[in-house]
Amino acid sequence: MNRRKFLKYAGLASGSLAMAGVSAGSFMAGRSKDSYTGWGRTPYGKDQFFNRTPFLVEKPTYQIVGKPERITYVENIFRRNSEFFRLLMNRHPDGITWDKSQGIEGLPEPLKTYYTNHPSAFEEFFRMREKAREQRTNWPKYKDKYHLADAWSTAHSSFLGGPALFPAEPSGPPEEADFKGVNPNPLPLKSPEHGSKLIKKIAHSFGATLVGIARIKKEWVYQGSLRGVGRVDFEVPEHWKNAVVFAVPHEWESFYANPVYGTSYDAYSMLRFISGKLEVFIKEIGYSARSHVPPGQYDLIMPPLGIDAGLGELGRNGILITPELGGNTRLAAISTDMPLIADKPIDAGINKFCKKCKICADECPSGSISFDDAPKHVIRGFKRWKIDQDKCYTAWNSFATSHAKGCRICLAVCPYSRKNNWIHTLAREVDPRDPTGVTSKAMLEMQKNFFDYPGANEYLPPPDGNNKTFGKPPDWLLTEEWFDV
Amino acid sequence: MFEYSMIQPLFWMAIGLLTAVFFLGLRYWFQDLKIRMYWWKWLVVAIWLILLAVTLGGAFTLIGENEPKAGVRFLLFFGIIILLIGGGIWKIVARK
Ligand code: SF4
Ligand code: SF4
Repeated sequence: MNRRKFLKYAGLASGSLAMAGVSAGSFMAGRSKDSYTGWGRTPYGKDQFFNRTPFLVEKPTYQIVGKPERITYVENIFRRNSEFFRLLMNRHPDGITWDKSQGIEGLPEPLKTYYTNHPSAFEEFFRMREKAREQRTNWPKYKDKYHLADAWSTAHSSFLGGPALFPAEPSGPPEEADFKGVNPNPLPLKSPEHGSKLIKKIAHSFGATLVGIARIKKEWVYQGSLRGVGRVDFEVPEHWKNAVVFAVPHEWESFYANPVYGTSYDAYSMLRFISGKLEVFIKEIGYSARSHVPPGQYDLIMPPLGIDAGLGELGRNGILITPELGGNTRLAAISTDMPLIADKPIDAGINKFCKKCKICADECPSGSISFDDAPKHVIRGFKRWKIDQDKCYTAWNSFATSHAKGCRICLAVCPYSRKNNWIHTLAREVDPRDPTGVTSKAMLEMQKNFFDYPGANEYLPPPDGNNKTFGKPPDWLLTEEWFDV
Repeated sequence: MFEYSMIQPLFWMAIGLLTAVFFLGLRYWFQDLKIRMYWWKWLVVAIWLILLAVTLGGAFTLIGENEPKAGVRFLLFFGIIILLIGGGIWKIVARK
C-alpha cells in the first residue's frame, strides 16, 4: 500500500474514530456527576452561573394588577392545617372545640373566614386526612421497598427534632430577638456595595449555590402571625430592610427519582445550616439578622423575594425557576438592617416559556397546576397561575412514603431542571437571547416528543397508579441492592 | 471526574488529531475522484461534519443522562435530517 492509499484509509478510520470519540465524550458529559446543577465548585462563587447582566430589568416579571396585599398566615397550607389539626385534637389555645357537624360556620377565626372563601379547601382537608390514613395502613406494604429512601430522608429531617434547633427560633418581638448577640462595637462598613459583595461571598462559602439581595416589601411579609410573638397582626418591623436570599438544589439523583425516592429535607437541612451560620456572621459584624428557613419557619414568603433578588422568575408551578437550577431551587432568607445594594430582577424568558410549556400541569398527580395559557387569577393584587395547594397536599399524603414527605414532581419534570452539560447549557444560553422564540418552540417540541413522562396518575400507589418515579432511582436508594427483602 | 481530569485535554487533542488526519485523507479521496474542491466546498463539508458531531453528541449525551429513549429519538430524527442534507451536499460537492 502506498502512502497516499494509506492516508486515504487512515483518514476514513480517523474520521470514524473522531465521531466515536465525540459520542463517547458526550456520553460522559451526560453521565458525569460534575454536570449535576449546583453541585460543582460553588463555595467560591465561581461555577456554572448564568450571566444575568443582559437580562436585568427594572420591573420583575410578576404582574401587579391591583393593590398588593400581605399574605395572612392561614393562606399557607402548612400553618392552616396545623391550626386545624390543633382544633380537631382539642388543643386550641382558647379552648375552643369543634366537630365537622358544626361546618365552616362553627369554625373559629381565622379558619372560618378562610374556608368560607375557599369551601373546596375545606372538603380537601378531609380528603387529605382520609388519604393519609389510607397510606398509613398501606405503609407496611412498602416499608421494605422504600427502606433506604425513608432512612435517607429521616436523616435529613433529623434537624427538626429536639431542643437544639439550628438556627434557634426567635423568641420575643423582632426588635429584641433579631438583635440578640449583635456585636455592639461594629467596624464601619466601607459602603453598601462592599456589604453586598461580602455577604454574597460569605453565603457562598457557607454552601449557598445562588445568592441575591432584595428590599423587603411589605407584601412579602406574612400577616397574623409573628415568630417569637404569636398570633398577632403587626406592622413590618423598621429594621427588616433587606433580605439576603439564597438557594441550594436537592441532591441530584434522588431529585430525579421523585416522588418516592426524593425528599425535601436534604435541601432544607443545608439551607438551615447556611442560614444559621449567616445569621451569626451578620450579627458578629454588627447588624440585626433573622433566619427565614424551611420547612415552616418563615415570616417572609420566599419566591417573590427570589424574583426581586434577580435569582429567577415565577413558574406556572408557583415556585421560583432559576436559569441554573430550574425548579430544583430551594430557598431561605435572612432579613437584616445591614446596608446592602438590592439586585435587579431578571427577565430571561422563563415566565413566557411557562405560557407554552405546561409539562408540570400535565404531570401533576393531583391536577393542582393551572392549564390556563396565561395567568388570569388575581391573588393578593398579583396576576398568577392558580395552584390548588390543598389538592397538592392530598397527593403528598397519598404517596407510598412513611408520611407526607412531599412530591416535587413539578420541580423535577420542569425543562429548566436539567443538567449542566453542553446540550442543556446551550439551550439555557441560546433561548433567552433568541427574540424570535424559535429556540424555545424547538426546545419544547423536543422536550415533549423525545422524552418520556410517566403520566400524572402513575406516581400514585395502586390502585390509582404504579408508584412510578420521574427518573431512575440511584442504586444507593434501592433497598433491594443492599438488603435481602 | 472526566471533565476536570488530565484525560480531558488529552482526549480533545486526540480528537483534533484524528479530525486532521480525516481531512488529509479526504483531500486524497477528492483528488482521486477528480472532484475539484474550492474553499466554500471545504466549508460546507466542515459544517456538515460539525452538524453530524452535534447530532451524535446530543444523542449520546442524552443516553449518558439515563434518557436512552430520548437519545435514540434524537438520533433518528436529526440523524435522518443530517443524512438527507449530506446527500444534497454530496451532489453539490461532487460537481466537477
Ligand atoms: S408538588 Fe406534586 S402534587 Fe403538588 S403541585 Fe407539584 S406536581 Fe402537583
Ligand atoms: S414545567 Fe414548564 S410550565 Fe411548568 S414551571 Fe417548568 S417551564 Fe413552567
